[in-house]
Amino acid sequence: MNTITATTADSGAPAAPRPAPPGHRPRTRLARAAGAARTTRAPYQAALFRIAFAAVVTAFLLREWPHRRVLYGDRSPLSFDMALTLLREGGGFTVLSWWGGRPWFEAVYALTIAASLAVLVGWRTRTASVFLLVGVVSLENRNTLVGDGGDNIIRIMVIYLVFVRCARVWSLDARRARGRGAHDSPDRTGVVLWSVTGLLLLWAFGPGTLLTPGWPLLLWALWAVHGLWYTVNRRLPGHHLRTLLDGCAAMVHNCALLVIAVQICLIYSTAGWYKIQGGRWQEGSALHYVLHLDYFTPWPWLSGALASNALLVILLGHLTVVLQVAFPFTLFSRIKNVMVVALIAEHLGIAVLLGIPFLSLVMVACDALFLPTALLLRLGPRCAAPLRRAAGRPPGRAAPPPAGSAGP
Amino acid sequence: MTARPPQDAGAPPGTAFPPPRTAAGEGEGPVCHSGPKHGAGSGRRAPLWATGVSVVTALVLAGVTLTHLAMLFLHIAPPNAVTARYGERIDAYVQPEFGQDWKLFAPNPLQRDEVVLARVRTRDEDGGHRTSEWTNLTARDIEEIRGNPAPSHVHQNMLRRAWDSYVATHGTSDRDTGVRAELATAYLKRVVLQRIGREWRGRPVVALQVGARFTLIPHPWRPAQGTGPGTVSRRTLPWWPVTERDHEGL
Repeated sequence: MNTITATTADSGAPAAPRPAPPGHRPRTRLARAAGAARTTRAPYQAALFRIAFAAVVTAFLLREWPHRRVLYGDRSPLSFDMALTLLREGGGFTVLSWWGGRPWFEAVYALTIAASLAVLVGWRTRTASVFLLVGVVSLENRNTLVGDGGDNIIRIMVIYLVFVRCARVWSLDARRARGRGAHDSPDRTGVVLWSVTGLLLLWAFGPGTLLTPGWPLLLWALWAVHGLWYTVNRRLPGHHLRTLLDGCAAMVHNCALLVIAVQICLIYSTAGWYKIQGGRWQEGSALHYVLHLDYFTPWPWLSGALASNALLVILLGHLTVVLQVAFPFTLFSRIKNVMVVALIAEHLGIAVLLGIPFLSLVMVACDALFLPTALLLRLGPRCAAPLRRAAGRPPGRAAPPPAGSAGP
Repeated sequence: MTARPPQDAGAPPGTAFPPPRTAAGEGEGPVCHSGPKHGAGSGRRAPLWATGVSVVTALVLAGVTLTHLAMLFLHIAPPNAVTARYGERIDAYVQPEFGQDWKLFAPNPLQRDEVVLARVRTRDEDGGHRTSEWTNLTARDIEEIRGNPAPSHVHQNMLRRAWDSYVATHGTSDRDTGVRAELATAYLKRVVLQRIGREWRGRPVVALQVGARFTLIPHPWRPAQGTGPGTVSRRTLPWWPVTERDHEGL
């Protein structure tokens, strides 16, 4: 059971209950494995991933605001009819295929930004992440011919994010959860949000879609689970059903984290292993060519200076390949942290040097998933302090302690 | 939630620093013990039905996760015996939601600069035709990218990928074979028209020609093999008629 749910770092335990050595009680080991599987792993990494990912998506959507209609909207060279043809050919879900009018597009774009901001601060994260999924996938599938690797990663990760419990810490949701307790009043905002979402689904898909597998069914299922979770929390707080649901949600979370981690490893492996086969990467000249591509030289003087230093070009080229190929193999050792820091540094460098900040920064968000908890715990309060100051609260104090809180 | 270290600066310094972990346990970190908020349930033994549902869920999740990862791997992996047999089914599962291509600059980066150009033909009042000079559309993109820390997809990807998608669907021929090729042609045409506009020197554009110029980037230390003619090549697409419909929505 442990293999399914192990997060990146949770590798120590054996895959399956092995024949117990004499004196060991298999029952205890099994129970421990089951307990581990039903525990939400790596909440801090998940939260950091959520924040960084949403920040990149928000920044991207805001940056493209002036060009939004040309990229994905009514002024796109890929006209509405052409987009429909492409969707028929390649499949893909987008709510922008329902109507090609500008108001609908503007509404979807604005709602996606709103959802992205909500995920960023962790407000109603479970619902917001679903809205973000629908928004991002809809926009990207409206015109798949303007994206790059960054959009590809965003489109994949936004799906996985829906299944990750990414707001257990460092979020408004977490703060609200701390504030709630014995005096539980019904969560009006949650109920309203859930009802409105239900009406939206009904308006969008109708009840008929419940029978066919696909995106509508997935959205309905998520909606139903949200409702169930709220009801069980309200009515049966101490019931076994709640424990069961919580355990299942944790298992889903753990699986999603594992999938994200493996997906990131696949990205690095593919990029690295295919580079190894290229003559230009073997001889170390590849970077020279990259630095001369006009589309990727926002700072020609900088690229030129770097490209003119042959030794540096060779060194950085080989370093890139080594980092990408080696990364998955270092996950279970201490070197991992060095690798993660090196990859983050490299991506930050690429963001500036090649002028592809959104691709690079979304990779930084992915890399951050592998940062050690100790570091995150140390950085957390330091990052929170300025935020709190900005919000006008005295530093060093916990978030507004609600009276009668049944906090941690 | 009891095991969660106080991350909200409410704790005295020091307590926020967990003791060093062993290599294997690192990152495993403090987990959120997400037991019920109300304290009940966790201490008691779960009834059989709950354990059963848990186990079934775990098995289903394990199956789904492993299948998904296997599909992703096979989708990315080089062609092999499995993909030869089940390639279509794998692609049908992965595409379009999880479709991916991570061969950025691999196995080799592009070793030439590609420039997309366009020229137009206009009609005079007397029925005569006039042909414009070639306009370097890529140069306009580059101008927008230079000095911009966050270039827009409109400038960095749109024209470049429109050209790439034309080449990918047409190969060396210029005949539209299939829906995707037709679409790629229409798309490239509209991308270019959006940049060029309806008129040239006050006269309506009636036809458009797109071309590309490729300049080899010299090898950093090997002596250039024949500077000059050999380093530049061109591709010119046929003239396309332009009607009012092509401008729709631009």
